[in-house]
Amino acid sequence: MQLKHRLVLPLALVLSAVMLYPVAFSFWISLHDYRLTRLDDVRWVGFENYKFIATDPGFLNAMGNTITFVIGAVTLELILGLGLAILLQRLVRFQNFIRSTLLAPMFITPIAVGLMFRFLLNSELGVISHYLGEIGITVDWFGPQLALFSIILIDVWQWTPFMVLMFLAGLESLPKSPFEAARIDGASAWLTFRCVTLPMLRPVITVAIIIRALDAFKVFEYVFAITRGGPGDATETIMYYIYQAGFRFFRMGEAAAAAFMLIAVILVLVIALVKATKSSTAGRNNV
Amino acid sequence: MFSFSSRSARIAAFFAIAVALLIVLFPFVWVFLESIKPASFGGKPDVWLFPPTSDNWNNVLLQSDVPANILNSFVVAFSTVAIALLVGCPAAYAFSRFRGYQGARYSILAAEMMPPAILILPFFLVLYHLQMIDSLAGVIAAHLSFVVPVVTWFLIGFFDEVPRDLENQAMVDGYTRFQAFYKVILPAVRPGIGAAGVFGFVLSWNDLFYALLLTGGESRTLPVAIAGYWTFRGVDMGKMAVAILIAVIPVLILSFFIQKHLVRGIGGGAVKY
Repeated sequence: MQLKHRLVLPLALVLSAVMLYPVAFSFWISLHDYRLTRLDDVRWVGFENYKFIATDPGFLNAMGNTITFVIGAVTLELILGLGLAILLQRLVRFQNFIRSTLLAPMFITPIAVGLMFRFLLNSELGVISHYLGEIGITVDWFGPQLALFSIILIDVWQWTPFMVLMFLAGLESLPKSPFEAARIDGASAWLTFRCVTLPMLRPVITVAIIIRALDAFKVFEYVFAITRGGPGDATETIMYYIYQAGFRFFRMGEAAAAAFMLIAVILVLVIALVKATKSSTAGRNNV
Repeated sequence: MFSFSSRSARIAAFFAIAVALLIVLFPFVWVFLESIKPASFGGKPDVWLFPPTSDNWNNVLLQSDVPANILNSFVVAFSTVAIALLVGCPAAYAFSRFRGYQGARYSILAAEMMPPAILILPFFLVLYHLQMIDSLAGVIAAHLSFVVPVVTWFLIGFFDEVPRDLENQAMVDGYTRFQAFYKVILPAVRPGIGAAGVFGFVLSWNDLFYALLLTGGESRTLPVAIAGYWTFRGVDMGKMAVAILIAVIPVLILSFFIQKHLVRGIGGGAVKY
């Protein structure tokens, strides 16, 4: 065997065992009436599970919640991340300390983040709710209206640092000359940002959005730590739906089908996003 | 503090960064205070001054299962990363240097994006049949599914940055290609390997989803143990605060060492800044 194949062989073996085989097995499960409570009676049902999932109000609600969550969280993180990155780039003192501190949230385990905020925002015991109450504001953070929004805010707390990290690196690698040209032409700060910084940063922004969005689709820990999908089903996300279907109701076939539907939705969105950014870049280049 | 030309912009920037720091730091400070609050002050969010106590720390570190959970988390994360580096290094080198691996490169990225919801069912069923639910080996196998692709993806980017002249020179000097990889290139990317390893360690250490479903009793990892402090029966805030800090502090210390390398790693050679 050639060296280049021998170097890759161990990786191929490991990934076959922990990725390819499970994905194939999972697809097989999705085509069967596969219940953990009836393992000796697994029946082939073709695409019945997919049909059931596609019309299940619970699944559609979870998908809707997840998409709302992803769009809300990623948009806020993008705007805040870009703003903070620009400020941090201009920071001349205490740079290392402030950067490292602001990046800290993205490294800690999401279950701890979820429980910390459940703590802080709790309507009786929470310190934030307490002081908001003192000045006459009562917010039911995890009530039916706000629960999904609160989960989004928690995600923003943890993952805006990721955007900051990407954009800081992007900003620092930009060439200096276009900025000098803009300055000599007397362009305002806003105009420079809109017409020089933003277009040059576009590839980094696209990559950061895709990575963040793919990750946000997997949101589970905050929901598990705080609301368990409630109140009602207001914060039930896809991952939580699959967790429930598979490990609370033991309907493995439906859970597997839901997981493949999730992949299909993610694929469509990623392709749309890549196409959208490509065509807008091409359009500008033609002008 | 800021290199903005107008004074008002500098002041606005100062306040924005101050607010951001406050928002990031406040939860940590508060969890720390909660961990040293005497039980008699529990449930009073507006108490800031109290005689500090080490009761919660003593209780969690000496009388609970948390030390065992820490050990489990460490064994899982360390084993996962060791295997990931062992198989990832040679493969990433091959992806970086040899023709015909363009597709393989991006399939690594695709593997990185695979939702755990797809993989958890087979992992659970196979481990169930092997009677290996509640074993660390099962969690290690599951963690390999996301740590191996991430570590390999990181390493590709770091190998890409090593000039090809380096191994050409080594081969002129009489090394075989594999010796050149092993004795010249690997040492040259050591910081990258370190960063990839630390990042993989953090990912495994932080995982709740797989560990929740594949461990129990003896094999519980730290995130699962933390989740167990807040049940339908109530919450023991002081002890939970201690457990949270124990999970978070080592990771924060590690993160300081890899921040510089992180962006290059995430880009994986696909993004050229």
